[in-house]
Amino acid sequence: MAEAITSAPPLVRRRSIGDLLARDLRALPIVIGLIALWIFFAVQSDVFLTARNLSNLLVQSTVVGIMALGIMFVLLVKEIDLSVAAINGVTSVFMAKLIVEAGVTPWVAVPIAIALGAFIGSLSARWVTYVGVPSFVVTLGLGLALNGLQLILLPATARYSLNGTGLEQIALINIDGIWAWVVLAIGILSFAGLVFSEAASRTRAGLETPMMRAVVLPIAAATLFGAIVVAILSAHKGIPLIVLIFGILLGLGGYILKQTQFGLYLYAVGNNDEAARRSGIKVHRIKMAAFAIAGGVAALAGVIAASRTLGVGVFSGGGVGGGTLLLESIAAAVIGGVSLFGGRGSIHASLLGALVIGTVSNGLNLMGVENEIRLIVTGLLLVLAVSIDKLIEKATGQQSF
Amino acid sequence: MTDMSAGRERHVQASGAVPLISMRNIHKKFGSLHALRGASIDVHAGEVVALVGDNGAGKSTMVKVMAGVHMATSGDYEFEGKPVRITSPTDANALGIQTVYQDLALCSNLDAVQNLFLGRELTGSSLFGRRIQRAECEVKAREVLKRMRLGNLSLTRPVGAMSGGQRQNIAIARSILWTPKVVILDEPTAALSHSAAEQVGDLIRTLADQGLGIVVVSHDIHNFVVNATDRIEVMRLGANAASFRTGDVTGEQVVNAMVGGNEGVNLAG
Repeated sequence: MAEAITSAPPLVRRRSIGDLLARDLRALPIVIGLIALWIFFAVQSDVFLTARNLSNLLVQSTVVGIMALGIMFVLLVKEIDLSVAAINGVTSVFMAKLIVEAGVTPWVAVPIAIALGAFIGSLSARWVTYVGVPSFVVTLGLGLALNGLQLILLPATARYSLNGTGLEQIALINIDGIWAWVVLAIGILSFAGLVFSEAASRTRAGLETPMMRAVVLPIAAATLFGAIVVAILSAHKGIPLIVLIFGILLGLGGYILKQTQFGLYLYAVGNNDEAARRSGIKVHRIKMAAFAIAGGVAALAGVIAASRTLGVGVFSGGGVGGGTLLLESIAAAVIGGVSLFGGRGSIHASLLGALVIGTVSNGLNLMGVENEIRLIVTGLLLVLAVSIDKLIEKATGQQSF
Repeated sequence: MTDMSAGRERHVQASGAVPLISMRNIHKKFGSLHALRGASIDVHAGEVVALVGDNGAGKSTMVKVMAGVHMATSGDYEFEGKPVRITSPTDANALGIQTVYQDLALCSNLDAVQNLFLGRELTGSSLFGRRIQRAECEVKAREVLKRMRLGNLSLTRPVGAMSGGQRQNIAIARSILWTPKVVILDEPTAALSHSAAEQVGDLIRTLADQGLGIVVVSHDIHNFVVNATDRIEVMRLGANAASFRTGDVTGEQVVNAMVGGNEGVNLAG
């Protein structure tokens, strides 16, 4: 066992929201894959790399990305929620009903929809943890039931138009000009504040902090990445509000996963729930919170989808059975590196996975390829991404954590 | 069968002192199964006591009663000379009795610091939930590992990437973190190579030298038990079969006592 003991100086573990891709070897293949896809489509179509198209690509990836971000919390605790798409649909239809029929302002209806989504998620968690039915079954059944409820809530026309209710503004607002850069500056300052406070607490505790590796590099990389994104978006219409919402969720989610006790418990429960229980962690509560987050986030994604399509209907939430929305949301998380077996995955998984799926869809569309092909390519990419992960695992002898 | 622990115990550190744990005449019934039939054990500060026996001899039940997992049906349990009533592992922890189970109960995706503090993190409040004070945890972890002479253990690698011996050490370190008085180890060397088992033995000795009482349940008689412990309590059929001072016996003699073979080898006679 002597060879396994590291005598290297203790490394500083940077546990911050923008976990840089370069440092996370697990994310590297997917980043390379994404770049390869971009090069391929750039060669195929002159339009692909324009600011306008990249802007659209980001917007098109947002709903799936947000859904993936939510479902990731459930996957981390080694459960699955197949009802997220149905929650997305039924809460957005319920919200539309409140706005259109009861005249409720979107300022009230949107939070109600999100709270409802979180409540539905927590219900399936209760069923899973107290009755002991596998989450796969509970959420499959619940999803179908919610699909039925969605159809009942819809009017005879099978559609609520939300045009002119104010809700459509969510998808229309762009933050442009100087304000786009102000938003970026706020984001980078928050991130830098976090990194500095961590470095300061290490120094206070008498631990060494490699300034370059733990402070300068992360902040520089985050600044560079953010500046490129904002520059591209600004060259078109500015930062779309829904992209900003996704960005805020990514930052918040990264903070929760990497910095808080709750985040740590998600990983612990997903890896070894018996060990977590013996350590005094209330496993059922952690799972309930994970399902509630997935439900609430799915409802938020539903609100955004409703705003983009100017209404809700049978098609909301991917249609009956969740359709491609459900499959793409789970696929995005898994492509991004979240394990279906619990305890592994970082927040950028949802962004990377959604971008891969969005890129395939957007690029093939520009090439004039049929929708059927898009499904085939996306499906194969999912298998390929997980296969590469497995091959790395075999080659390095490093288990996936 | 003679019990030599009462009169003839010659253990140096232990002589004359009040034992940390003294369990006398413990009975435990699971329905019709009479698992413990009047078993007794003493654990002194600074000594390593091995609890050995064949499968079904009652040693696991005995340490589970000691650790608060089971309650004895009858018998006396004294801690530092005072009668105690331990109804749960939490009670045992509160007294300063920690148990390291055979499966170690570690999370392989978390690093050493995260495993050491799991469920007991040092935290501060923040806008979005309790924020872990990583630096403070790391300092305390380093301190404990250094005391255990495990200073070169990586604090940031996932535990799953470590060797079996290192994982065992982390599980022991976790029990030490909250300065217990007694540590119970269930089969600490079962999954380890010979050299790794030796290192665990060294670690246990280090802890005993710092004044802890250590109880080890082990099947590894010939290598581990006869080399790394001070006293060997042999159990058979739910009761004490023999008690040896480690230096006085060979592995053969211990095994004979376990299976109820040649009574003559009992050196107490």
